[in-house]
Amino acid sequence: MAEQFPQPAQQQLYSLNLGPQHPSTHGVLRVLLTLDGEYILEADPIIGYGHRGHEKMGENRTYLQFMPNASRMDYLSGLLYNHGFCLAVEKLAGIEPPERAKYIRVICAELNRISSHLLWFGTFLMDLGAFTPFLYCFDDRENILDILDRVSGSRLTYSYCRFGGVARDVDDVFIEQTRAFIKRLRSRWPDYHNLVTKNVIFIHRVRDVGIIDKDLARRFGVTGPNLRAAGVAFDMRKVEPYEVYDRFDFEIPTGSKGDALDRYRVRLEEMEQSCRIIEQALDQMPDGPYRQERVRLKVKPPRGEVYFAFESARGQTAYYLVSDGSPYPYRVHVRVPSFGNLHCLTEVLKETLVADAIAILGSIDIVVPEIDR
Amino acid sequence: MAAKDDALRRIQELLGPGALTADPDFRAGVSYTVACPKESLLAVMEIFNACGFYLESLTGLDFQDTLEFVYHMNAYEPRARMAVRVLCPHDGEMPSVSGVFASALWQEREAWEFYGVRFSGHPDLRRLLLPDDADFYPLRKDFGTVHAYRKREEVYG
Repeated sequence: MAEQFPQPAQQQLYSLNLGPQHPSTHGVLRVLLTLDGEYILEADPIIGYGHRGHEKMGENRTYLQFMPNASRMDYLSGLLYNHGFCLAVEKLAGIEPPERAKYIRVICAELNRISSHLLWFGTFLMDLGAFTPFLYCFDDRENILDILDRVSGSRLTYSYCRFGGVARDVDDVFIEQTRAFIKRLRSRWPDYHNLVTKNVIFIHRVRDVGIIDKDLARRFGVTGPNLRAAGVAFDMRKVEPYEVYDRFDFEIPTGSKGDALDRYRVRLEEMEQSCRIIEQALDQMPDGPYRQERVRLKVKPPRGEVYFAFESARGQTAYYLVSDGSPYPYRVHVRVPSFGNLHCLTEVLKETLVADAIAILGSIDIVVPEIDR
Repeated sequence: MAAKDDALRRIQELLGPGALTADPDFRAGVSYTVACPKESLLAVMEIFNACGFYLESLTGLDFQDTLEFVYHMNAYEPRARMAVRVLCPHDGEMPSVSGVFASALWQEREAWEFYGVRFSGHPDLRRLLLPDDADFYPLRKDFGTVHAYRKREEVYG
């Protein structure tokens, strides 16, 4: 008679929703996990909660009117997006900004990159259960926000760049503050390393966890620090130098294995490299006009298209603009790095523990509104 | 330069020299543009995959007379980016390249929900960014307010 009763299933599978509102999902992200005990069999990220239709918005406003949208996609590195959009339109319309403006933009963009990485540092460790580093890095980040606030007028969603320059010139106080900040940040590295990098608990949580190797990265279009952690020295600032990046001496930090620890190391080293770029830019910055006066507000690029790629804090970002010769873009498409970085999680999260999934999600540094656009 | 030259040679063998347009100054941000017929798309993608390229971006353009899908391919070397352009009628279907590049799995879902063109052979064509019950295609020019709706030659002619 025994065969009449159903056999107990070998696996007791169940589904778990990670998110949509969870501190470790960095925005409104829901990951539908299929679990066997504590092991993840399948992970399906469900996105789109923050879809605002930026690309559609671009089709019924002028190039200048689209500029505030740019910094609202990735709100943690808004200035980099803003900068990239300006460069794309300038390339399309053939506008050449003055030398001083280029240096101001690079300095501000790199400051923004550091602030984005600092925020990642804090939230990543908070995901892992360490609260103290969060307070340290927010203290440092506050400095950058104050510096950028003074020149651009905003703390998060910057619209500082203009076609053919920047909105306002920087003064000696800005230069002084920036130099002081870099000195201060460098004095903090030993603290960071003693508190986190040498921490045994931290190392055990992230070493050999969530390995993204070269092949996986290529199949899913992973870019940025996540790709460099796998050992590919691929950075738009070096490969396709834009603005004045080819005049600076800096390195592209790379990892070897592509695990969460490598990604952590690459980002910390990247902050130091950004400091080097800012220092050189401050030394080389010439005097002169900060903005090209003869750029019309209603920029009217000739017919054609441009695909402009640059390096944002999370990886390779690109604007694809198609112009029909009118002051309104015919199509605005944004290639966002977090899209591929998050997509590869469907593969990486397989057969890992739930606790590791949180560490992996934190280590790839996603900003969900950037994916949703 | 190896990956780029290799891919160029093999695409030229497949499609003939007329399909490639060079942009030596990198003015539009791509080194070569490949005008690819729909039937050859999978073969071209196989070549890119074999040469070490990755699918950087997949997006569409809506014109009065046709839809156009643009695949931006890139390799880990300077100025290797190439654009593959495929024309597709408004009520047509596109072949899915998700079997070659896994990153197309999501990008094709996005293109499908925004342009209303099915990607045949896609294993899991669900909505990605829009709600599940969305019955509109937002990036088509007949949806919402747009400034202009043009024929293809008015932009590229």
